[in-house]
Amino acid sequence: MRGPDLRRLYDEHAGPLYAFLLNLTRDEADTRDLLQDVFVKLARDEDLLNGVRDERAFLVRLAHNAAIDLIRRRGTRDKTREQFAAEIISPFAPTSDPDERTFRTVLAGALAELPPDQRAVVHLKLWERLTFEQIADALDIPLNTAASRYRYGLDKLRERLRPIYEEIK
Amino acid sequence: MKPEDLEQKLQRQPLRQIPGEWREEILSAANKVGTARRAVRGRLGEASLPNWFSSLLWPHPAAWAGLAAVWILILAVDFSMRDQAPVTAEKSAPPSPEVIVELKQQQRMLAELIGPRDEHDADRSKSFVPQPRSERTEILTA
Repeated sequence: MRGPDLRRLYDEHAGPLYAFLLNLTRDEADTRDLLQDVFVKLARDEDLLNGVRDERAFLVRLAHNAAIDLIRRRGTRDKTREQFAAEIISPFAPTSDPDERTFRTVLAGALAELPPDQRAVVHLKLWERLTFEQIADALDIPLNTAASRYRYGLDKLRERLRPIYEEIK
Repeated sequence: MKPEDLEQKLQRQPLRQIPGEWREEILSAANKVGTARRAVRGRLGEASLPNWFSSLLWPHPAAWAGLAAVWILILAVDFSMRDQAPVTAEKSAPPSPEVIVELKQQQRMLAELIGPRDEHDADRSKSFVPQPRSERTEILTA
């Protein structure tokens, strides 16, 4: 019996999963480990994707669960490390434009301050362009919870970004 | 700052790209696990087992095999205990002649105390014949 087409799955989903995981972990090595875990899981259980309607949502759920487990394992011991990492690694592409660079740096910091649950919803809504229904499905949470987490998260980002946003507008 | 403006501004921020060298590393690690898994399943004789049986045992065939082994052990111990029971009875020593004599003496004494077996109360009650009260007084005064 042949396993799932891992190459196709990787080419279609690994990029967005990478950005999502990087936004949650703020650590490139952890992101790589988690991404590999997702694909190892797919390889190990050949029937995992059987009956799955939305591959992306399913893979996001796998990745999110793995990331949450990792964050819990880290616990308070590594909180400082996470804050450090937030300053070093950003989920956004580097740019030569100084204004954009500043904005992305502040945005990355503001995102890092959000609780992981809100950060996950904000990421999926803004950069994955998922609907609240898809987000609720992917993260296994009620629709209203997804919407409220997004609203709270966006409010915090707005407050944090207001000064810089007004400046570069 | 309008909410829509902020959302659009944020959405326009491009995300970091996944490092290209990860592709082969991750895929080869995943494929290695997948191949090993398939080999193990093949070695466990999945091909010889009916599909429904293998799906029943999966994903923890080792745990099921362990459970089966424990049951076999329990049954084996149970059977061995059953075999030993009659042997134990056979092997027990017969009572000594002194004990037999003592028992017979006790039996005799008991018989003497109780009396002959044919004088049961039940039999006596059968021999009682009711009589008129006047006749009974005659017997008493006689």
